[in-house]
Amino acid sequence: MLKHLRQSGTLIGLLGIVLFFALQLPDTFLTARNLLNVSQQISMLAVTAFTMTIVMVMGDFDLSVGSTASLAGIVAAVLFAAGWPVWAGVAAALAIGVVGGLLNGALVAYVGILPFIATLGTLTIFSGTAFLVSDGKTIFGRDIPPGFAGFARSGVTLTEGVTVPAMSIAAVLVLLVVYVTLEHTIYGRRLYAIGGNVHAAELAGLNVRRLRLSAFALTGLGAAMAGLMYASRVASANPTQGAGLMLDAIAAVFLGMTMGRQGEPHVMATLVGVLILGILDNGLTQMNVDSYVREILIGGIVVAAVAMSSYGRARG
Amino acid sequence: MDSLSLIGLSKAYGGVPALRDVTLHLAPGRVHALMGENGAGKSTLIKLIAGVVPADAMVVRRGATAVSLRNAADAAAAGFRFIHQELNIVPQLSVAENILLGHPSPRRFGVLVDWARMHDRARAALAFLGAAHIDVTRQAGDLGTGDRMLMRIASALVVEEGQAAPCLYVLDEPTAALTATESAKLFAVMSRLTAQGAAILYVSHRMEEVMAVCDDVTVLRDGAHAMAAPIAQTTQTAIIQTMTGRQQTAEPPTGPVVRGAVACDAIGVVSGRLRDISFTLQAGEVLGLAGLEEAGQGDLLRLLLGMGRVKSGQLRVLGGPAPTSPVQAWARGVAYVPRERRSEGLMLGMDVRCNTLLPHLGSFGILARKGPETVRTRDLADKVRLRYRAPDQTVRELSGGNQQKVIFARAIAGNPRLLLLEEPTRGVDVGARAEIHALIRGLSAQGCAVILASSDLPELLGLSHRVLIQQDGRQAALIDRAGLTADQLLARVYSPNPA
Repeated sequence: MLKHLRQSGTLIGLLGIVLFFALQLPDTFLTARNLLNVSQQISMLAVTAFTMTIVMVMGDFDLSVGSTASLAGIVAAVLFAAGWPVWAGVAAALAIGVVGGLLNGALVAYVGILPFIATLGTLTIFSGTAFLVSDGKTIFGRDIPPGFAGFARSGVTLTEGVTVPAMSIAAVLVLLVVYVTLEHTIYGRRLYAIGGNVHAAELAGLNVRRLRLSAFALTGLGAAMAGLMYASRVASANPTQGAGLMLDAIAAVFLGMTMGRQGEPHVMATLVGVLILGILDNGLTQMNVDSYVREILIGGIVVAAVAMSSYGRARG
Repeated sequence: MDSLSLIGLSKAYGGVPALRDVTLHLAPGRVHALMGENGAGKSTLIKLIAGVVPADAMVVRRGATAVSLRNAADAAAAGFRFIHQELNIVPQLSVAENILLGHPSPRRFGVLVDWARMHDRARAALAFLGAAHIDVTRQAGDLGTGDRMLMRIASALVVEEGQAAPCLYVLDEPTAALTATESAKLFAVMSRLTAQGAAILYVSHRMEEVMAVCDDVTVLRDGAHAMAAPIAQTTQTAIIQTMTGRQQTAEPPTGPVVRGAVACDAIGVVSGRLRDISFTLQAGEVLGLAGLEEAGQGDLLRLLLGMGRVKSGQLRVLGGPAPTSPVQAWARGVAYVPRERRSEGLMLGMDVRCNTLLPHLGSFGILARKGPETVRTRDLADKVRLRYRAPDQTVRELSGGNQQKVIFARAIAGNPRLLLLEEPTRGVDVGARAEIHALIRGLSAQGCAVILASSDLPELLGLSHRVLIQQDGRQAALIDRAGLTADQLLARVYSPNPA
């Protein structure tokens, strides 16, 4: 009973938050327009957090996703400015994400550096590279082709005035791909086995190194996607714009982990974490709560949720 | 000093008795050896008197006074000191800090560490041991193994004001990591300690050592008291016989070895600490690995699992060169049951299905298919006679014996041709143990070659066709099981090459 309460506590928290804002903001919060807006606002965080879940399933994590996102945006923008077509710039930026992820994976799995330290190092490297490539400037205006910026403004219109943003659809697609990969493929099961006991997984003949390498590559790819979405949304790229993604993505996965049977991450639970963070941000903004106060509140909620969960687990 | 009596020590873990009504008298100034096979109850006895594990029954008397031992602090206050085989040190701290670890450090003005006094106290403790050559300001991690042992003993010598002087030192396999010279130094220290009137309880597997340095001996067997005598009135042979007991000579393995295919062929293999490893293992044959703890049995198994590199000599496994990774080994038909079930074997938080099929998931294609996997898991669970609720039950909820069966189910799932077993029945109840033995016999009869490392002699004798004895990583003997008794095997483990 207690266990179920602990597992569903985070979900109940999400419903509570929705209810709270629905009562406080009766005219604006629970409207299709606002909810679709929220879905777009959180789409970049969602993509980062979903793919972050892949490494966290193994008990690793990746601090470099924010600067990978920034770098991907910058690389795409620089290539656009150099006259590359949209598809080529996007492909190159995604490739940068994969390469960055492979570098993280190689450092962690083959060199044997702790993920915290390895990705802290690459965070700085990617961030410095983004500044170097962009000359420290924001790239915007004519350099960003309309075809690229238009993506974030496009969507699928359901009825008059109700348009599902393309970014939200992209996030849902990533969610589905990560869900199937983690929960319904042999690959995903192996990642969970590594998270369950890396030593036993190795002795039982899993190719732990290659699995870790590939998982980091996927996380890097997701971070690059999020960076491109961000650049498309603001129709510009600057070397720090992804910086906020990393902490929120890790926080979202941690929130989701409170719902795992053994405290393990699942991407659908990560979605709940993303929704909590996104809806709090949206609702508090609408209530004109000061942004600094907002940060304090969100940080407090993450700590409280994780604390309650580990307290509950310690007591069985 | 008064003599110390440990009376009626009993302890059961989860209904399985580990120690049954054992009584020990420790006279001041004498070294008392505590002997017994692995699992005989030696470490349980030590844990009880250290106050680390609560006893089911125990009376401790010093002279006529009763001593209460409810926790580690009680044991320290009573003057009991423990030196374990694992040298727990903090390598980053100085020798002096390590020696005074767990004691309040001398202070200046109540807050600052009084380094001068700290160093003085550490030096005094080392000087008493005749180890004044150790610089107390060095980092402990820089010391050699012998000096580390001396440092640990020095730490046990430190007495707080108001605390009783140490009256009992418990040395648990102290020479396991020492060279002969270092051991000699340790024995000199021991005689200083006994000269001061302290008693020493000495646990060791090294027979010659025990005969040389101890005054009395108590032998435990299956958790019960089996013998107590002054060393002068007994013999090495008598002690060994008492340790093994009148073990019904386990029935020798039945069924013929499927001759023909060679599963494993080693010629003069050197790898890590392994030396002179030479044997040929045929399909269906069970090769037992015997030796003292950490004599290289695990290293040999892990080498065959692809976790070591052959430095010289030749090693062929299942018709090919030695595997270079566990991935390759499993793919070639090697299966492994690790020694530490919880830390090396299982994903405790995951279900039976995933734990069982882990190395074989690839055979189900790319997508996880719950249906066929569940059928396969049920089938394997029946084969190992697993008692469980459902394939999606978490492994953590199973008993130790059933957890071990999950690892066996995993090992046999791929129809292995070479099965590597390390202490396959450790901590497993009698029923599960018999079932696991039957399983191993069955696999052998079907032509699977088995290498079995076990410190459980009846198990080795009951399952092996031949026994390979290792000593410090070296292959010391390779003997035929036929006609071998437990006593003879144990004697060979202690001194592999009798004159």
